[in-house]
Amino acid sequence: MKLYLKSLSMHLRGELEYRVNFILSFLSQIFVFFTYYFIILALFTKFDHIKGFTLYEVLLCFSIIQFGFSFNEVFARGIDKFDVLIIHGNFDRLLLRPKNIILQVLCSDSDFVKVSRMIQALIVMGIALIHLEISWNLFRILCLLFMLISSCVIFFGIFLAAAAYCFFTVQGLEVRNVFTDGGKHMAQYPIGVFQKGFVLFFTFVIPYAFVNYYPLLYFLGRSNSIYYAFSPLLVFFFLFPCILLFYFGMRRYTSVGS
Amino acid sequence: MRAYFTYFKLKFISSLQYRMAALAGIATQFFFGFVYIMVYIAFYESGSHHTPMSMAQVVTYLWLNQALLALVNQFSREEELFKIIKDGGISYELIRPKNLYFMWYFKVIGQRLANVLLRFFPLIIVTSLLPSPFHFGLPASFSHFLLFLFSLVLGTLLVTALTVFYPIVTLTTMNEKGIVNLMISIADILSGIVVPIPFFPTFLQKISSFLPFQYISDLPFQLYVGTISFEKGLFGMMIQFIWIILFLIIGNFFMNQSLKRVTVQGG
Repeated sequence: MKLYLKSLSMHLRGELEYRVNFILSFLSQIFVFFTYYFIILALFTKFDHIKGFTLYEVLLCFSIIQFGFSFNEVFARGIDKFDVLIIHGNFDRLLLRPKNIILQVLCSDSDFVKVSRMIQALIVMGIALIHLEISWNLFRILCLLFMLISSCVIFFGIFLAAAAYCFFTVQGLEVRNVFTDGGKHMAQYPIGVFQKGFVLFFTFVIPYAFVNYYPLLYFLGRSNSIYYAFSPLLVFFFLFPCILLFYFGMRRYTSVGS
Repeated sequence: MRAYFTYFKLKFISSLQYRMAALAGIATQFFFGFVYIMVYIAFYESGSHHTPMSMAQVVTYLWLNQALLALVNQFSREEELFKIIKDGGISYELIRPKNLYFMWYFKVIGQRLANVLLRFFPLIIVTSLLPSPFHFGLPASFSHFLLFLFSLVLGTLLVTALTVFYPIVTLTTMNEKGIVNLMISIADILSGIVVPIPFFPTFLQKISSFLPFQYISDLPFQLYVGTISFEKGLFGMMIQFIWIILFLIIGNFFMNQSLKRVTVQGG
C-alpha cells in the first residue's frame, strides 16, 4: 500500500510538471464528460420517463457507474493500458521484482486528469439526490456507499480480465471495448429497462445489475427487500475469477522480447 | 491533379491491408448499434407525447450512423499528420513540389473511403435482414435517396476539410491537446452522432444550424429517413457547399501563413 501511494504521488508530480497542459486537459475532460450525459438530458426533453424511471433516477444510475469507471481510469490506469506494458516488453522487468505483480502493474501508470470525471460524476449524483425525494435511513446510506464501492470493484475486475486477454492476443483489440464501453453504456440506464436476455447477461456474467439496478430499486423505495441493499457486495465474487484469469494468463505468458 | 489522385490511391490501398482490424471494427459497430438502439426502444416503449422521429426512422438513422461512421465521424484524429508535424517529418513533405494542403486532403479522404468500404456493406446487408425493431429500412423516397447520396458526398468533403484543419492549427501551437480536443468534443455532440439533431432542445438546434457540424452526417441521414423535406434538403446542401468553400479557403490561408514561420522539429 505504501509503495502504491508513493508511486501515485510520483505520477502526480510528474504530470504537474506540465502545468498548462494538465489544466487544459482537465478542462477539456469536463466537457468530454458532459457529452456522456448530454444524450440522457436530450432524450428526456422528448420523453418523460424510460420504463417508469425519471430523469434524476437515471442520472443517479449514470453517476454511480461513471464514478467507478473514472476511479479505475485514475488509479488502475496501468491495468487499463496493460497491452502497452506487454508490447514494449516492460512486463518482463516487473516479473523480476520480488513484489506482488498486480500491485506493480497498478504502480506503473496513473492518469490524474480523469479526476475531473470523478468529481463531475459526484456532482451529477448530488444534483440527482437533491431532486429525488429519498426517505433516508441507515440502510439507504449504506446502500449508496455499497453501490459506489461495487462500481469501482466491477470495473477493476473487468480491466483485469481485459488485461489477462492481452496475454493471449498481445495487442488489446477493439473487441474488448464491447465489454467495457458497451457494457458501461447500457449500465448508465437501469438495466431492467432492456430486454430479458441482456438483463440476465448483465446479472450473471458481468454483474452490472448488482451495482446499480437491484440496489437502486431498494434505494428509490421501489422494493422493500433488504437483500437488495446488500446485493452490491456480491460483485466481490466477480473479482475472484478475474484475478484467477489474470494469473492463469500470466503462466502462459511468453515475452515478446525487445 | 494526377499526383493528388496517386496520394489518394496510396492511402486507399494501404488502408485496405488492415482487414482483420476492419473485421473487429464491424463486430464492435454491430454491438454498439444494438446497444444504442435498445436504449431508444426502451424510451419509445415508455410512450411519449412528442417524438420528432418514428422509431423505425431512428433505428435506420442509427444503423446508417454505424455503417458510415468511418467516413463521416468527426472524432478520429489524423495521428499521422500530427506526428509528422511534431517529429520533423514535415520537412520531407515540404520538399515535394505540390500544394501541401491538397496532399493532406486527398490522403485523409482516401483513408476514410477505404475504411468505410470495408465496413459498410456487411453492416447494411445484415441489418436490412434483421426483424422488426432492429430492421434497417429503405429510404423515404427515390428523390430523398438521390439527395442523400449527393449530400453524403458533400458531407465527406466537408468533414475532410475539417479534419485537415486541426493539424494546421497544430502547425502554430505545436500541441494538439487543449483547443483541438475541445473542438472535437463539441463537434461530437453537434454532429448528431451521439443523439440525432431532432432530439435536441430547440435552442440547441438553433445554435447548431449556424455551425458546420450537423451538415456532415446528420443532414444526409435525415434525408434518407425522410425527416427533412426535399426543399429543405436542397437548402441544406447549399449550406454544406458554402462551409466546404469556407474551410478550404481558411485552411489554405492558415497553412500558407504558418508555413512561412514553420519550425521543423528535429533533423
